Amino acid sequence: MSTSTVNVPVASPLTAGQRIAMHYFIAAMVLFLAQILFGMISGLQYLMPDVFYNQLDFNVTRMVHINAMIVWLLFGFIGSVYWLVEDEAKTELVGAKLALINFWILTTAVAVVVVVYLFVQVGPGELKSIWLINEGREYIEAPRWADIGIVVCVLVFFYNIAATFMKGTWSGISGVLVLDLVALAGIYCAGMYFTPNISVDQHWWWWVIHLWVEATWEVLVGCIMAWGLIQTLGASRKVVTTWLYIEVALMFGSGILGLGHHYFWIGTPEYWLSIGGFFSALEPIPLVAMVVHAVYDSGRHGFKSANHPALAWLIAHAFGNFFGAGVWGFMHTLPQINLYTHGTQWTASHGHLAFFGAYATINIAMIYIALQRVRGNVWMSGGLSDNGWKWKWSLGLLNGGVVGMTVALLIAGYDQSFVERALEGSTWSGYFQAQQSAWFMQAMNWRMVFGCMTTVGILLMFWDMLTIGTSETRGKQALAPLPE
Amino acid sequence: MGDPIGLQDLFFGTMAGAGVVLSGALYALFFALTRLHGSRAMNIASLAAYLLLIISVFVMANALALSGFWILVSAVMLIGYFLLPRAIWHLCVGTHAAEAAATHSRATQ
Repeated sequence: MSTSTVNVPVASPLTAGQRIAMHYFIAAMVLFLAQILFGMISGLQYLMPDVFYNQLDFNVTRMVHINAMIVWLLFGFIGSVYWLVEDEAKTELVGAKLALINFWILTTAVAVVVVVYLFVQVGPGELKSIWLINEGREYIEAPRWADIGIVVCVLVFFYNIAATFMKGTWSGISGVLVLDLVALAGIYCAGMYFTPNISVDQHWWWWVIHLWVEATWEVLVGCIMAWGLIQTLGASRKVVTTWLYIEVALMFGSGILGLGHHYFWIGTPEYWLSIGGFFSALEPIPLVAMVVHAVYDSGRHGFKSANHPALAWLIAHAFGNFFGAGVWGFMHTLPQINLYTHGTQWTASHGHLAFFGAYATINIAMIYIALQRVRGNVWMSGGLSDNGWKWKWSLGLLNGGVVGMTVALLIAGYDQSFVERALEGSTWSGYFQAQQSAWFMQAMNWRMVFGCMTTVGILLMFWDMLTIGTSETRGKQALAPLPE
Repeated sequence: MGDPIGLQDLFFGTMAGAGVVLSGALYALFFALTRLHGSRAMNIASLAAYLLLIISVFVMANALALSGFWILVSAVMLIGYFLLPRAIWHLCVGTHAAEAAATHSRATQ
């Protein structure tokens, strides 16, 4: 069992990296709110198509909803890495001023892109509009100038992190992290390749959507998770690092060619059906392996956590990743089923649970770890002064809300697959029949109900983040390293 | 790829797909608990979960009218879900053994 003691809070000023991380975390939370706001408007437009018609059309609200999500998660990851880099490298951040300038450039660019999204989206699509208004690729609509800016900002970020580790000490976590940052900048470039051949264009576009998001982000999350487990549970660095290597190997073994399940219907050669199907069938197996390790650790060790909200969100991450990416992903990944479900609300259902479970949860966990330090290394284990009702309720509402939306969208997607694809043979009239069917509309109504629940959860979480630990007089629970 | 599946099979195909991952995870869970506690009940539960996994794969293969290469994919899946929990357990014991040895040597010094 872990041993623990209760201390007096020992406040110490934030380091340069941690101050920069707080900038990123605050911007991430603002963008999270924007994501939810535009998601609610998009959901409402399914039920009331006249809402904001010709003022804020569905194509714009949906685009802002998804882009805000991608950017807030990216801000959260960058913030998380700035938070842990000095602790991991055991030295001060290299180029703190450059990192701060980088933050403001990136944030200003994001604000300009959002303003352009909202006010300049009507007119002919031409080469100039690709560079200045909208690149036209779903999910990564940012104009070309912003795309190049994102790559430059990630390279500056890479320099800050790699140089800090070179100045300080390297570790297993830092080695994987720095290599992953190269891929984070590099693979994003595939989304800027323009060709009039739609099959070739989609081929490279999926590199960003699948490899950038599902591979480089997953590895980044693995690094953050490894550091987070050391912080919240006092887990052994050696064990955590070994498992990080195993995770990366398992993921690359099945994940990279799992890309093939996106190549089924875009005009690529038929062998992608076999490659995509085979590796997609293997993709959930590493997630199942995670269950064995979790049981092993919880059976061998009695856990005490120094930060209950963060640990709860890390657990939510494990479950969300398993169900969102594993179960919901495999359900419609084989080509025999994907023929009917591709691009329906089924995909939206999988996307909601997978993005929330795999990525949003870990960013929220990191913010709680940061807040503990910001409030002066205060007690954030069990028995908080208000019994921690705000973080517990926000955790429940957010997870319940997202799961509810996922199930509602699954029902809508099933109805769409049935009516539009199977009965009507993917015709234009079939699309509208599916959109107007009773099951689809009922599911969309329920999606709004659970969307409201998610919104309440987020507002409660913001309130908790602003107040948690402010009146706490006890110091952080000290954790001894976990013995065997 | 084979012929498109029938309408009635879409539901069974997708639910069996979910069943594959869920029963695979249940098998892994009960397998690990069996190794941890040496419990006979857990061992029976793990076998039951693996049987459920076989049934899920069988239902999926039937619903999706799988043949040839796709039967091979199903078989690899079954073998993968069977072997990987064992391999991961082995790795768990191995990675923690070094930690245990270090703790023991510190305690005896």
